Amino acid sequence: MKMTKIYEGSHQWIMFGRDEHKPANIIDSNQYAVRTANRCLLMEPGGSELFAPMMAAVLHHAPVEQITDLFASHQDPDVISSLGLWDQALSSAKLHAPALWESFLRHFGCESIEYVPIPDNGGTIKLDSVELQLIPAHYLHSSGNFHVYDPQAKILMSGDVGAALEAPGAPMFVENFDSHIEKMRYFHQRWMPSNQAKRAWIERVRNLDIDILAPQHGRIFKGDDVKRFLDWFDTLQVGTAV
Amino acid sequence: MSLNMNNQTKSQFVAVASITSELSAVMVVAKEISLAAANAKAIAFRAGDKAKGFQPITDFINELAKETIELVTSINVYALSLYQLTVNEYRKTVAYNKFEQVTKMSEGAAYAQSMQAPLAHAQLSMQLCQRQFKRDVKQLLDQLEAVMHHARAARVIAANSRIEASQAGEYLQSLQAVAESVDKAAHTIHDNVQRCRIALSLYRNS
Repeated sequence: MKMTKIYEGSHQWIMFGRDEHKPANIIDSNQYAVRTANRCLLMEPGGSELFAPMMAAVLHHAPVEQITDLFASHQDPDVISSLGLWDQALSSAKLHAPALWESFLRHFGCESIEYVPIPDNGGTIKLDSVELQLIPAHYLHSSGNFHVYDPQAKILMSGDVGAALEAPGAPMFVENFDSHIEKMRYFHQRWMPSNQAKRAWIERVRNLDIDILAPQHGRIFKGDDVKRFLDWFDTLQVGTAV
Repeated sequence: MSLNMNNQTKSQFVAVASITSELSAVMVVAKEISLAAANAKAIAFRAGDKAKGFQPITDFINELAKETIELVTSINVYALSLYQLTVNEYRKTVAYNKFEQVTKMSEGAAYAQSMQAPLAHAQLSMQLCQRQFKRDVKQLLDQLEAVMHHARAARVIAANSRIEASQAGEYLQSLQAVAESVDKAAHTIHDNVQRCRIALSLYRNS
């Protein structure tokens, strides 16, 4: 599992991904951690296949007892099917996930972890002195869906928005936006169901100050590529399977 | 070692699930015995003095069927909790194996040591589940033995019924049919319960 520090300030953002030992027939995913003085939040901690390499990688940055929070943008297995294992590893942690999906996500096993349901209009996660905003992203692609915005680091963890289907070992960052478009087009057209939801999200996100847009699959967007992505997504017709 | 435990847990699912299936068949047969007892009672009543010896036997068959139904109902509840225990054990075993992988993969990591407590806890939880499973299996085997005892008793009653039926004149055939039906049902119960016991006995001392 590769680890890349994408922000270093009063706290850190670390991206985990491109796991070399991942079975070839499961989709590659990016996991993220926010590390503060005494706490660690894992975002989109991944599928159960990924638990061991992910936990081993996190141990380079935080001890188990300081992994206090998990976040799942939605209910998909590549996002959070490892929940039952985190549940047995972490003695007192919270899972921040859509209220809409609570009774569904509990199928993965959630006995010792406290499920903190995120209401439809969003909320916050406080880690020491860092406050993260939970931005509604419903129907992108899941009916109950949130992204995480860090106003201090100016990072938006955007779940499946901005995702791309890449060859194994792809670079961590978008290097040439134009050539990256084709890697994203099908994913967004097929997985995102609603143009109305897309427009509402873009309007909301354009008001945020974003340096880094960090999706759950594919490469991370930096600087001007963030605006390029929003402009491209704005013109894209989604929900094309019907 | 870990892989073997995993395979064993998977076989447990099959063994425990097969108990519920075998027991539901036992329940059907026990109800049939109860029906046969009611039928026998009616025939014995009509036969009057000719089937005098048969009348107390019908009450006894009915009682035996009722007890078997009650016993199987209680075993089913127990089998369900055994299934839940198997699910828990499976989860604990998977977690323990994954945590072991983490400790190997995190060698050299700054906080690798912090995985020791969850690993030890997972191992203990898994072992507790395994011990509990063995204890519960033993108790379930004892309960199944009680059902076998009932089945054996039913076969003895069936043999007695045949003797009594032979003195019932024109009712001989009807009462013999009742005796046959009880004997057949007792045989089926015996076989089904025996299969449960064989499936479970693998885990008594594993």
